[in-house]
Amino acid sequence: MRKAVYIILLSALTLSLAISAPQGAPRAVSPASGWDLLRKIVLIPGLSSQEGKVSDFIQAALPSSLKVQRDAKSNVWFTVGEGKPHILFVAHLDELGFLVDKITPQGTVLLRVRGGLLPQTCEARPFVIHTAKGPVEGVIQPKPDYYQGQTAAAAPSRQPAVVTAQNPAPPASTTAPVPAQKPPQTAAQPFPKPAPVQAKAPAPAQAPAKPQGQAPAAEPVELYLGCSSEQEVRALGVAEGDQVLFKKRLVDLAPDIMATRAVDDRAGCAALLAAALCLDWTKIKTRTITFAWDVEEETGLNGAQLLAKTLKPDYVFAIDTFVSTDSPLENKRFGYAVLGQGAVLRSIDTSNVTPKTEIRKVAKIAEGRKIPIQIRNSRGGNDGSVFVADGAADIPLSWAGAYAHSFIEKIVKSDLEALTDLIAALVEEWK
Amino acid sequence: MKKRNVHWAWSAGLLLVFGMAAASPIDIKDLIREAISIPSALGNEEALGTKILSYLPKGAAERDNLGSVYARFGSGGSKIALLAPLDEYGWFVSGITPDGYLRLDRSAQPQPNFDNYLLGHPVVISTQKGLLYGVVSQPAMHLITRERREELGNLSLDLVYVDIGARSGEDARQKGIEFLDPVTLWPELSALADDRWAGLSLGQKSSCALLLGLAEDLGKAKLSQEVALAWMAQSKYPTRSGGARSSLGAIRAKRTIQPKLAIIVDGVPADRGEKSPALGKGPVLILPKEGAAKLKDAVEAVAREAKISLQYQTGAESALLNGLVGDGTEALMLAIPVKFAQTPSEVVDLKDVLALKTLLLQLLQSGRVK
Repeated sequence: MRKAVYIILLSALTLSLAISAPQGAPRAVSPASGWDLLRKIVLIPGLSSQEGKVSDFIQAALPSSLKVQRDAKSNVWFTVGEGKPHILFVAHLDELGFLVDKITPQGTVLLRVRGGLLPQTCEARPFVIHTAKGPVEGVIQPKPDYYQGQTAAAAPSRQPAVVTAQNPAPPASTTAPVPAQKPPQTAAQPFPKPAPVQAKAPAPAQAPAKPQGQAPAAEPVELYLGCSSEQEVRALGVAEGDQVLFKKRLVDLAPDIMATRAVDDRAGCAALLAAALCLDWTKIKTRTITFAWDVEEETGLNGAQLLAKTLKPDYVFAIDTFVSTDSPLENKRFGYAVLGQGAVLRSIDTSNVTPKTEIRKVAKIAEGRKIPIQIRNSRGGNDGSVFVADGAADIPLSWAGAYAHSFIEKIVKSDLEALTDLIAALVEEWK
Repeated sequence: MKKRNVHWAWSAGLLLVFGMAAASPIDIKDLIREAISIPSALGNEEALGTKILSYLPKGAAERDNLGSVYARFGSGGSKIALLAPLDEYGWFVSGITPDGYLRLDRSAQPQPNFDNYLLGHPVVISTQKGLLYGVVSQPAMHLITRERREELGNLSLDLVYVDIGARSGEDARQKGIEFLDPVTLWPELSALADDRWAGLSLGQKSSCALLLGLAEDLGKAKLSQEVALAWMAQSKYPTRSGGARSSLGAIRAKRTIQPKLAIIVDGVPADRGEKSPALGKGPVLILPKEGAAKLKDAVEAVAREAKISLQYQTGAESALLNGLVGDGTEALMLAIPVKFAQTPSEVVDLKDVLALKTLLLQLLQSGRVK
C-alpha cells in the first residue's frame, strides 16, 4: 500500500516537472510522446481561420519560461537565443472543413467550404458544428437521387469537382510558378494560389490545362440537423460563421499506424511541440531559434504572411505533410516516400525548390544521428515559401503521409519520431 | 477504514448498482447503441445474434443453423410472429494483394451507389481474431488526376483497396484476415436534434433493438396466444439477385415458426418525395399485394386507441413479405421511417421507434389478433 502511494506521488511529481520545468531544464518527455500529443491535438477543432483552441493547446503545453507569444490571428511562437543565423521552424494549426454560411427556413444549414476535399466523400457523413454553446451533430445531405442507378449517378451534376468556396477550375499546373523576384509589399503572396481557398492546391498532377470557369460547378453542401425550422437551428446555438468539421475518429490500423482527419498538419504541430519539450534551450546562445505554429495555411498561407512581417529568418524549416504516393491508386513516378521509412525532406514541391546544398546539410546531420530520412519531391505548397523572398532558404521537413486531404490521412509513428528527432538535431547543429 | 471494511463497502456498492441495473427496464436507446456497434453483414450475423441471445430468457430462445434467433412467449390462440432483419449490407474480402491490401466483393447492396460510400473512409473487418479496422484508399487531393476523379465519381469495386496497415499478403494474414471475412462501414452513431439519431444500418439495428425491448415486456405480460419473435439472418439475400426473390431469412423463419399471423419490423425509406413516408410521423403500415385484412384492422384499431398516428405505403415490393405471405399466413409490415435510407447515416426518429414498440405491445395484449 505504502509502495503504491510512493509510485503515485512519484508519478505526480514527474508529471508536474514535465509541465512546469523552467527554461533550460531537459524535459521529461521523450520524442515518442509526439505520437501521444498527435492523438490529442488532432481531435481539437481548428478550421482554417478558427484555430484558437489548437493555439490554446500548444500554448498551455509549452513552459512559460519560453515566453510564448500570440498574435490576433492566433499564431503562436517563441524565440530563443540571439545572433545569426535565425532559424525558423513552422507548422500550421489549421484544418480543412466548412463554415456555416446560411440557415434555411427548412432548418438545414448551407455550408461554405474551407479547403479542398473530395465532395462525394462528404455525402451522408456525420459532421459537427462547433457552436458557442458546444458541438452540434449533423449529416451532410446526400444527393436527392443518391439511391437511383447509374443514369443519375453518372449525370454531369454528380461529377466530383474539388469543392472550393469560389469553385475555381483546377489549376492548369500543380507546379504553380513562384515569382523569381520579390513581390510588392502589398501583395505579400510569394506563393501565388490558383484559388483563394486552396493554398495547397489539390490539383490534377498530370491533368491537361483547363481554362478557368470550365470546371464542374461545386454543388451546395447542406447539413441536416434533425430540425425543421430556422428557429430550431438557432436554438441549438448554430450561427453563421461557425466551423463545421468532419466527426473525427482515430482509426488504429496497427498500434503504430493511425488514420484520421487533420493529420495534415497536426502531426507537424505535434512533432514541433515534442521537440520543443525535449530540447535543452539553455544551450542555444549564439544562434536564434524560433518555433512557430501558424494559422490559415490551407486557405492562403495567411498566418505565415503575418509572421513574415516581423520574423526575418535565414532558414525556415516548414514542418508539413509530404504528399506520398505510397498507396495503390497513385502513380509512383514521383512522391514515393514509403510510410515507415523515416522523415522526409520535401526537397521540391509546388511552392518551393530547396537548394541542393541545404538538402545535403540536412542529410549529413541526419546521417550523423542515424535518423532515417527520405529525400523526395511531391506536390502542395508550404508556409516556408512565404519567407524566401525576404532571404530565407526554405527547407520543408515532413513525414510520409498517405491519402492527404481526406478523412483517413495515414501516418506511421516511427516517421513522426524520426521527424521529431530531426527537428531536435537541426536545432542543436544547424549553422 | 480497515481493508476488510473497504472491500465490504465496495461489494455492497457494486451489488446495489448491478441490482438496480438488473431490475430496471432495458433502455431501447442502449440496445440500439449496442446493436449498431456489432457488425452483422449478411451471412455473418453470429456476433449480433449472440448479443441478442444474451438478453433473452434461457429456454425460451434458440438459434438455427442460418444464424437466425428465435424467442417464444405465451401459448394458445393464433400463433403470431414478429420478425426483424438481423443482417446489414456490406462486403467481404475477396482477395489480398501481394502488398497487403484487401480486395472486396459485395455481399448485398441496397442501392446502386452504395459502393461509393467506401471511398476514403474506414471500414470494419470481422476476422477470426476479432474486429480489425481498415481504410479504403483514396488518392491524395494534391495528386489526383482529372481522369481518376471521374472514375471515382461512380466507384467501381475494381478501384477499392482496403488498407489495414499491412505491407504484404502474409502480413495481412498474420493480422487474422481470411478470404470471405465480412467488411462493413464504420458503425458511426450521431445524436441529432429532436430525438433523431443518425447511424449505419440504423433502420435495421433499431428494428432489432425494438424487438429485443419488446421481448422484455412480453416476458412480463399476460398473453393469451403464442408470440414468436425472430431476428432473421440472411434477410437481404435476395438483393444479390436484384431483389426478385423472397427473403431467405423470412422463408426460413416462416418454416420454423409456422405462424398464422406475421408482422415484419424493419426500416423503410422516408422523406423521398410527396408519396413517401415522413420521419417523425409514426410507424408505416405496409401491406402485401394479397392483403392482410384481419391484421390491418387490428393494427388500426389499436393505433387509434393508443393515439399513435400511422402512415401508409402501398405498392411496395418486399422480399420479406414475399417470404412470409401465403399458405395460411397473413402478414404485413410495420416499419420505422428512415431518412437517408441505405447510406452510412440513416436517420431515425426515436419517437417513431418507441411509438411502434408501444403499438406492437398493445396489439399483442389487446386480444384483437388472437
